[in-house]
Amino acid sequence: MALAASGALTAPAIAQTPLQWSDDKVKAIARHGPWPPPLSRDPSNRVAGSPNAIVLGEHLFNEPRLSADGAMSCATCHIAARDWGDGRAKAMGRSELDRRTPSLWNVGHAHWFGWDGAGDSLWAQSIRPILDPREMASDAARVAGLLREDKALACGYERAFGEKPGGGDEKLLVDAAKALAAFQATLISPRTPFDAFRDALLSGDREAAARYPLAAQRGLKIFIEANCAACHFGPRFTNGEFGDVGIPFFTRPGEVDAGRLDGLAKLANSTFNLLGRYNDDVSGASALRTKHVQRLHSNFGEFRVPSLRQTGSGPFMHNGHLATLEDVVKHYSEVNPDRLHSDAIPLVRPLALSAEQSADLVAFLRTLSAEPPPRHAPPPLCP
Amino acid sequence: MRLLAGLLALVIAFPAWADCPLDLGRGTGLVIFSSHYLVAFRPDPMRIEVGEPFSLLFNVCTKSDKPAELVAIDAQMPEHKHGMNYRPTIVSLGDGRYRVDGMVFHMPGRWELAIDVRAGEESERLSHEFILK
Ligand code: HEC
Ligand code: HEC
Ligand SMILES: [Cu+2]
Repeated sequence: MALAASGALTAPAIAQTPLQWSDDKVKAIARHGPWPPPLSRDPSNRVAGSPNAIVLGEHLFNEPRLSADGAMSCATCHIAARDWGDGRAKAMGRSELDRRTPSLWNVGHAHWFGWDGAGDSLWAQSIRPILDPREMASDAARVAGLLREDKALACGYERAFGEKPGGGDEKLLVDAAKALAAFQATLISPRTPFDAFRDALLSGDREAAARYPLAAQRGLKIFIEANCAACHFGPRFTNGEFGDVGIPFFTRPGEVDAGRLDGLAKLANSTFNLLGRYNDDVSGASALRTKHVQRLHSNFGEFRVPSLRQTGSGPFMHNGHLATLEDVVKHYSEVNPDRLHSDAIPLVRPLALSAEQSADLVAFLRTLSAEPPPRHAPPPLCP
Repeated sequence: MRLLAGLLALVIAFPAWADCPLDLGRGTGLVIFSSHYLVAFRPDPMRIEVGEPFSLLFNVCTKSDKPAELVAIDAQMPEHKHGMNYRPTIVSLGDGRYRVDGMVFHMPGRWELAIDVRAGEESERLSHEFILK
């Protein structure tokens, strides 16, 4: 490992000296920022970024009347105080589901949604739980009826969409999902100790860089050298694609969760995908991925690469198979290459970390989270 | 893409092929050639970002300055033993010019682009390497 001294970081003037970082490593670190990322507006959603749609979306997010029994809302599973997850290994709807509730932090920056990427837009993904009989078990008529008949929601709709809630049930279901998406896209995770370190390293601010714990710095070095960023790439620490890191995917004896392979079949069959009539983007650019994505044998047992920002306290992985970050690091340290189901992408291999190295890698991963600012109740729909 | 500057120099160093239209809209492009073919291309947008869709614009010629056919495009990461998760489509613009849409390099590292070209009976695979950071 060549450790070329990099510019301003050479003089050990302070009590805790940052490690020495080669130019290549500084570049690798730089790619995980800046944070927060520039705003992105989803062109497939005509109300994305609209303040009135965001308010409507937050009300709908907390609205149990969207569900068949009037008892379940999005917030039942995506709990703000739990980093927009639920802290369970597997989500609990009307019965236990096969997968973990993912965090919704930074979800507006994703391009495939769900652990299997069955959704190609945030709004399409927001329709799934409304209709799924194991979750909110609702239907378009119920959602449309609520928007038309509830005075406050109808008024909120009119403000967000510039017209009274009209058109068919399915169109109104999609509009509700687009408001839900506008709201969810505002959930940007806070800046973290890692971000402060990254920015300090880039600007040559030694003093600020030195505030980043040494254990985290050593862990960051392991993260770079183990090539975790091949998949956990960029500011969100995910390339947004799919991988198999050897997590068992039996759901019950004799049944497997085929992950991405099934996700692509669902995507192709969905009325709500970006090639369909509900895409508001006339340019067609937003549908590029959907149009060109291919279904591969290796997709069997692949799951979406999760972001590593603000992951919460676990459990982890698509089915909550690993309880803590320590367990995750142990997994990557000891993973049996024979357990990898796909045609063995040689990217995941047992790292054989020492106890100290494992602790360092965990320390680094923890610096990708921070205390989010307190949330306030949304303003009323139509005061 | 630091490769660009180096390959641009190549274009200038081989004036013998100046008849093959190498101008791909912005006066810049990559050029690769074999004993039979000359292929000029550039990404659109010019900078390929990890995980972001991009297109490739091609001019395909034979060494004797005839337009040739672009038959297929594929890309692999040789070290990781995998290809792209997306299947690009080739649109012919006439006169040996092509546009390839739907490319996505979803990981940083070395990608090898395989370019299958054909003129008459003779087909050939040319390749080009990108290092994505
Ligand atoms: C019963 C629990 C439950 C409820 C209720 C629920 N979700 Fe989810 N949510 C999940 C689970 C589980 C997944 C993962 C689904 C998958 O991979 O197929 C998920 C995935 C998502 C995703 C994709 C996140 C990502 O990172 O790709 C979004 C967006 C989302 N839910 C939004 C919503 C919205 C909006 C509602 C209300 C309309 C809602 N959810 C209701 C459990 C729930
Ligand atoms: C081949 C791509 C790939 C590589 C390389 C990789 N990961 Fe992952 N990572 C994934 C995928 C895919 C998942 C989700 C797997 C699942 O749910 O079955 C994941 C899950 C995780 C999680 C759990 C996050 C959550 O919210 O559940 C952590 C933490 C993590 N990886 C850290 C790392 C570290 C540290 C490294 C390097 C030692 C690494 N990963 C290397 C693809 C990768
Ligand atoms: Cu790769």
